[in-house]
Amino acid sequence: MSALCFELKGRPEQRLDLSSLVPGRLDGLNRKEIEALSVATTRESLTVGDVFKVEGKDVQSLHFVGTDDRCDKIGAKLAGGEIVVDGDAGMLLGAQMKSGKITVEGSAGVSAGASMVGGEIRVRRDVGDQAGGVASGETFGMRGGFIVIGGDAGALIGERLRRGLIVVGGKAGDYAGGRMIAGTILLQGGAGRYAGYSNRRGSLIFADKPRHLMPTYVDSGVMEFDYLRLLETWLREQGLRIRLGGRARRLMGDMAVLGKGEMLILE
Amino acid sequence: MPELKVKGVTIVETFAEAFPMVGTRVIITAPTAEWAMISARTMTGFATSVIACGAEGGIERTVPKSETPDGRPGVAVLLFTMDKNMLQTQLRNRVGQCVLTSPGSACYAGLEGEKTLKLGASLRFFGDGWQMSKVIGGRRYWRIPVMGGEFVCEEKTGMTTKGVGGGNLLVVGKSHKSVLAACTRAVKAIADVPDVITPFPGGIVRSGSKVGSKYAGQIASTNHAYAPGLKWHKDSELPPSAEAVLEIVIDGLTADAVHEAMEVGIHAIAKGGSREGVTHITAGNYGGNLGPHHFHLKEIVG
Repeated sequence: MSALCFELKGRPEQRLDLSSLVPGRLDGLNRKEIEALSVATTRESLTVGDVFKVEGKDVQSLHFVGTDDRCDKIGAKLAGGEIVVDGDAGMLLGAQMKSGKITVEGSAGVSAGASMVGGEIRVRRDVGDQAGGVASGETFGMRGGFIVIGGDAGALIGERLRRGLIVVGGKAGDYAGGRMIAGTILLQGGAGRYAGYSNRRGSLIFADKPRHLMPTYVDSGVMEFDYLRLLETWLREQGLRIRLGGRARRLMGDMAVLGKGEMLILE
Repeated sequence: MPELKVKGVTIVETFAEAFPMVGTRVIITAPTAEWAMISARTMTGFATSVIACGAEGGIERTVPKSETPDGRPGVAVLLFTMDKNMLQTQLRNRVGQCVLTSPGSACYAGLEGEKTLKLGASLRFFGDGWQMSKVIGGRRYWRIPVMGGEFVCEEKTGMTTKGVGGGNLLVVGKSHKSVLAACTRAVKAIADVPDVITPFPGGIVRSGSKVGSKYAGQIASTNHAYAPGLKWHKDSELPPSAEAVLEIVIDGLTADAVHEAMEVGIHAIAKGGSREGVTHITAGNYGGNLGPHHFHLKEIVG
């Protein structure tokens, strides 16, 4: 069965709420019923059929084509299945998702993977602020799962992160891992200022020594970490060849809060 | 009925009587294959028989770097007991005292199963509050700071209730030398069979036991029917030519694995033929009323 494909007809007049276009919601609906679903976010009514050309059948495999930064909440609350976005995504991509996989060929807006519980998001290019952060109405950020960002990330990546792994290929903005509770963020291209601000038990892994270090992190020196080898092996199984090696400098912090978090700076 | 012989070695028409056991597997890794092996050997030391060791354990195989969770050389260890509580206790004590303490080691689950045993879930307390948990790909690992760096240990490992303990082969021969040579060859061959271990020293038992004794409180005693020095006795099962009997005990995660190991073992023993000095291959049983698993030698060879 061919993937159910939504091709954007043109730049929409208003922001779109695409949270209804997930396998769990579309299962059992015919083409007409799908086209009648509302995607409006203003008083102007707008349906799927107004903005998308709909083709294909398999609701477990959704394909968005030509989407732009106004296409919000793609894959929000996703609970299984696969979504491929051939274009950009707006805010709250995969927010609060439980399982399944989302792949974005372009960039995503703010709060990608916010408060997600499980599953996987891969964004080929950049993401906005607060990726893996807190969705509105939630108290925690990402609580599980895996986010891979090929390009740069905005500020506050992994804000209030509780569990899960975020990998950033490029540079992250200020306050990376801000107020994180636990979980892991792997930063391959460094981060802005105040990385690990108020980090309780989380791990920030830096490929290179960060330019700005908070004074509330204390140095434990260099040692071997089998954990890094474990992580490297697992990442390779996920198709990500990232050399972590086994040695890193460990800084513990944020001592302004619990102080059981860490920065691992690869040697 | 004609006697069944393989290369002149008589296969006695009897069966090995084996028992259900609970079992688990862990993967131990270390900076070198040598250190992974040291750790695994230590963990499975004094684990020959549940009679007095608490558990039966052994090294299943070495695990190449490409197959271990952390990309380091590893060793797969199997551990068996009669019930889950004992297996949990033995696993915790043995990993805690022998793997945690071993330089550069890490310990991972080696078995998937509906039932699980705590691994890092209990060893993490060694961290005294400095331990750290990490979930990677849905599996939880504990990082425990130790003098040698950091001990990484997976939270849980799987357990099987379909384990089988006490698969055995008794090898009777005209000289100790010939029986030992045949058994050594068999243990080596069985080592290549997956899911099984031969828990005794070098895989071989020289003092097979029977249940009970003339002495009160002694739960097991010498299998006098197979002691060559007691051939005069009416209980003796040995032919006049027998000078030595050695036993290979096999524990496995499944009955099929034990069956396969016994088959491989019989053929390896008989490889030298009767000329080597081995006269009979037989097996130990208790009349068939105690253990539910009966491995009939004739069927295995047939």
